[in-house]
Amino acid sequence: MHAPERLDGLRVVATPDALDHAWFEGDVVVFRIAHDEVIAFGAVVAEVPDEHAIVERETAFVGWGLSYPEFDDLVARHVEWPLPTERPALAQGMAAGLPVKLWFEHDRVLLVVSSGFAHEVVERFRLPAFAESVKKQDTRRMRA
Amino acid sequence: MNEFVETLLELTWHEPKSSYDVVIIGGGGHGLATAYYLATQHGITNVAVLEADYIGSGNSGRNTTIIRANYGIPESIRFYQHSLDLYSTLEQETGCWIMHATKGLLWLAHTESAMRNERARAMLNTACGAETVLVDPTEIKALVPQLDLSGGGRYPVLGASYHIPASTARHDRVVWAYAQGAMQRGVHVLQNTPVTGLIRDGDRVVGVRTATGDISAGVVMSAVGGNVSQIAAHAGVRLPVRTHPLQAFVTNGYAQGFGPIISDTELLCYISQTARGQMLIGHEYDRETSYSLQSSFQFLQANAIKMSYLLPFVRDLKILRQWTGRCDVSADFSPIMGFTDVDGFVITTGWGTWGFKAIPAGGEAMAELIATGRTPELIEPFALSRFAADHAMADQGSTGTR
Amino acid sequence: MRFALDDQPVDFVDGDSVAVAVVRSGQHPQHGGALCLTGDCGNCSADVDGVPFTRTCLTPARPGLRVRRHPAVGGPPLQLDAPKNPVQSPVHAGVEVHRRHVDVAVIGAGESGTAEAARLRADGREVLVLDSGNGDDVVGVYPGPLVVVRTPEHMLHVHAHEVVIATGAAEVHPVCEGNMLRGIVLAGAADLLRSKGVDLGTTVTVDIAELARFEGDDGRVSRVVFADGRTEACDTAIVASRTKAPRDLLARMVSDPNVRVVGPAAQRFDLPPAPVDGFVCPCSKITVGDLQMVWDKGFQHLELVKRAALCGTGTCQGGVCMPHLRSFVSDKQGVEAAPFTGRPASRQLTIAEAAADVFLDPFRRSALHDEHLKLGAQMDRFGGWWRPWNYGDAMREYWAVREGVSLGDVSTLGKMIVTGPDVVEALERLYPTTIADIRPGRSRYVLLLNERGHLIDDGMVCRESDDRFVLTFTSGGAAFAEAWVRDWIDTWGLDVRIMDRTISHGAINVTGPLAGALLQRVGVAEPPKFLQHRHAAVAGIDCHIMRLSFTGEASFELHHPVAHSVELWQALMEAGRDMNITPHGLQALFALRLEKGHVIVGMDTELDSTPRRLNMDWAVKMDKPDFIGRTALARTADLPDRRRLFGFTMDGPAPTEGAPIYVGDRIVGHVASTFTSPILGTAVMLGWQKHEPWADTVTIDGRPATVAHTPFYDPEGARARA
Repeated sequence: MHAPERLDGLRVVATPDALDHAWFEGDVVVFRIAHDEVIAFGAVVAEVPDEHAIVERETAFVGWGLSYPEFDDLVARHVEWPLPTERPALAQGMAAGLPVKLWFEHDRVLLVVSSGFAHEVVERFRLPAFAESVKKQDTRRMRA
Repeated sequence: MNEFVETLLELTWHEPKSSYDVVIIGGGGHGLATAYYLATQHGITNVAVLEADYIGSGNSGRNTTIIRANYGIPESIRFYQHSLDLYSTLEQETGCWIMHATKGLLWLAHTESAMRNERARAMLNTACGAETVLVDPTEIKALVPQLDLSGGGRYPVLGASYHIPASTARHDRVVWAYAQGAMQRGVHVLQNTPVTGLIRDGDRVVGVRTATGDISAGVVMSAVGGNVSQIAAHAGVRLPVRTHPLQAFVTNGYAQGFGPIISDTELLCYISQTARGQMLIGHEYDRETSYSLQSSFQFLQANAIKMSYLLPFVRDLKILRQWTGRCDVSADFSPIMGFTDVDGFVITTGWGTWGFKAIPAGGEAMAELIATGRTPELIEPFALSRFAADHAMADQGSTGTR
Repeated sequence: MRFALDDQPVDFVDGDSVAVAVVRSGQHPQHGGALCLTGDCGNCSADVDGVPFTRTCLTPARPGLRVRRHPAVGGPPLQLDAPKNPVQSPVHAGVEVHRRHVDVAVIGAGESGTAEAARLRADGREVLVLDSGNGDDVVGVYPGPLVVVRTPEHMLHVHAHEVVIATGAAEVHPVCEGNMLRGIVLAGAADLLRSKGVDLGTTVTVDIAELARFEGDDGRVSRVVFADGRTEACDTAIVASRTKAPRDLLARMVSDPNVRVVGPAAQRFDLPPAPVDGFVCPCSKITVGDLQMVWDKGFQHLELVKRAALCGTGTCQGGVCMPHLRSFVSDKQGVEAAPFTGRPASRQLTIAEAAADVFLDPFRRSALHDEHLKLGAQMDRFGGWWRPWNYGDAMREYWAVREGVSLGDVSTLGKMIVTGPDVVEALERLYPTTIADIRPGRSRYVLLLNERGHLIDDGMVCRESDDRFVLTFTSGGAAFAEAWVRDWIDTWGLDVRIMDRTISHGAINVTGPLAGALLQRVGVAEPPKFLQHRHAAVAGIDCHIMRLSFTGEASFELHHPVAHSVELWQALMEAGRDMNITPHGLQALFALRLEKGHVIVGMDTELDSTPRRLNMDWAVKMDKPDFIGRTALARTADLPDRRRLFGFTMDGPAPTEGAPIYVGDRIVGHVASTFTSPILGTAVMLGWQKHEPWADTVTIDGRPATVAHTPFYDPEGARARA
């Protein structure tokens, strides 16, 4: 199991239609967290067809990449709601009393929480904490 | 023979009449206490108490039996302290064993801001006649050796306010004590008599409608819990009241072994051991409004973990039963007692999670109000008109709610 | 193989429950009472490994188990011993919760349950059968429907579209003289015991309708007396009943269209004859005589009999007594009494089992948490966050703000970006203050009122451009405020984009007379003027700098992407080293702001504090066409109002916060906040007077105090603007 990684990207609020047609440069994972809001991890540049869109740099999240056996063992049994079966898929909700975002890929699950809860994730799911080295190694500087 | 049974006194039932001087809707603690004091203090016995189901079937039979006066505003402290005093002599007065026991109540604080509140509470309570002192962790440990002062490593106990005269009594037996005293003096208590409407004569309420016929009344008082908004609506009175479920649970009965009442200002849960030996655990009311009486497992889970943090010994106790009551919560978290702007219709409501402890004082004051036509000084601050006048009795922090 | 019963060994064989083994040894798990061995009664419950009220018929015997009988009279003792390791979190107690999502959950694997499951499966439904034979103890059926189950290995939550209760029917216990003797078993129990090879000795089988009483010697049954007067001697009396009682506790617990009851559990049954003698409720030791007595005393209603006699409120929740209690009451009142409502738990669980895998609200940490700890901070939880209360010496922190430069971690503030065509209109309605005339680059202090005109939060509105604003809210109020703003803007149908930045932006308040100089050292050549704000790099980090003042000194809030909080904090601490830069905690902050007379929502304000009561009418523009709370404020404007927040000063040390304020011997209010101000040489306070006429001189803590204008410190605000 790996130490968590800081997930940087862009957070965008725009009309639902504009978000349906938004474009992000690069290797990006887009979480549609609300009808009018996305977080595009890995994104540096966004094109959103809404003149009033809010596009802001987002650095508040950390993620743990888990194999399915790890996920089933440590996280899944803390989830009271049904998990999605399609891949990839985003699910959001409370697990072990924490607001989590779960990104289901074909071969792994990314458990994402805001960094203010990282210490609680470590305690509640018994996942590894940030190593000191990881903490200091800041991610790429990004600019909207 | 079982001592719970032996010490009961008698309920004497009457045939209903079609007219009374006073009709009280709701055969719970407040309704029956009002009838009792009308009879004992004012000689008014041409009174009927109408109960939709059986006496004490509502919140009087569902509460967690704590009697305390450690409120946050002088008006409330005086009122509840008077009630606490009346409770302490109620057995003597009525000859009924209500299983009254003075236990002391600790309100635990885990943060600096909570300590600030409890410091203030202790000072104001003491100034207003309700004995409350601030205690430090060492004193708490001496009072409750079972308490984990580290709060399970998560909720360390920084201190507490200790409300020394806090007590408990058996809820049903309080209802029956007042019922018996009222019925012996001629008050009619009519069970299975739901009120379906109010009879108006012009602007005045002059009686009630029931499934079994109309009953006319000089004064109608609503002492209804749960459905109070509907009853008041029959009189055209709109109440600033929302009704929420309130849940609790008990374990099986164990030998007596845990003396005090413990309440937590942050976790908003509390525990005491009942006269039957059960550990009784309650919590703030459910956030969503509802008339539902269904219990939830989430409630059990949350309180089980909270109590495990505070009192590790409870972990191996078996849960016997959980249940739910209804809380009528007013806009300022204080009760509403007194006249309405409809002649002939008076009300006692807004009893939220604090109705049981107020039964004697509430009943006594409402009886005086009905008998004299004047609002007793003790409950003047709690009139319904305070909302229109923007003089709320706001005291959320004392109600075990947030 | 052996276990201990009251410290004496009891032999058992593979497959025995504790109860079966105890009966095999010629004993009783309690002190008497008929045994059903199906989990329906409480007559076999005992303390098993320190857990009283464990049904021994459902507990597999294991070597080394320690079983103790409950006392014959009274409850088992409360085990109050301190735990071995009190700091160990109960979170890791070992019981796990597993979750299942199924189409249909069928409770019961008897005839009706099996048939129902087969029918559902034939219809292509996915069915989970919960089988008590496999140790699935159903605690309750809750709204959802959610079925909570104790299994031998873990707790199980079953979320089902549909729940079928097929719990069948239970044999009826005998209620007659002698029914608390040992050696009485129900027919099903007798079959089970025989199948386990237990020698029951001479048995007599009696139908419950033909039973008069049991007679015995030394607490054990030795004769069965029949209704017709016959007497038969026995070692074991077996009680058969032609009609069984529906096992319907779960069914009576829930009202949900997605929960069905099938089979015997749903069927009406004929009540047994009204009991005339013996124990009706073995759990609470209630006799027929008790029922008769309460009835005679006027408790003439099933629920009143139950509550007065405490019949049916014990361990088995009416499993044994309900048919007899109903029969007793029905016989008296001439109408069949309906069963009382069922309540969880149907099968009991321990508090530890209920607490398994449960987690309470998380505590938030700002990104600077570890920095604070390194600096020796005493942390306290405030508004859901861990925050520095002080760094060891609050007065030193206070002086750093007043005379030098200090940092405060205000990352916890609520922060929000709003933009869109209708944004000005939305903010005009949200806030009682005028918004339209705030120029880009400027900011304004605002109140947030509810519909009653009562203060619920406060903060800043920073205008960035014609149609873009950044809003801040208090730390404790942030979550509520976000929902509040979204709900109202949705309700109004205004075209506004909202992005919450509370967790995304850290914020550091640089405050003190040297704050501007410090910023110049880290790349801000011209720090913004009072109530200005702008975006600029600070120590190389993109910041939104807001110039305001809560402490009373020049203050710059640096809002920045939260991943850079530590870097920014360290750069500022380093740059200010020769200025003796000292971070301040909440304790110092509360004192500093009090000298300025700034209220803290929730600390100084009450649930019903209008701006007028707080002397903040200046922040309300009643000439605006509308804003939340305007109607209420207009309606109450001319009402008499005797509540006011005042500033007070007094000589000597500040009284405790919360102290009552007296005029003569009357309590007229209380002090909300207090501080012994070293810079003013007096105690300063904010406090409430709630009775008119308001006094200029009051008594607090037995000493005179005087009403004083706020701000106490720097009333002209020169320092904040400097």
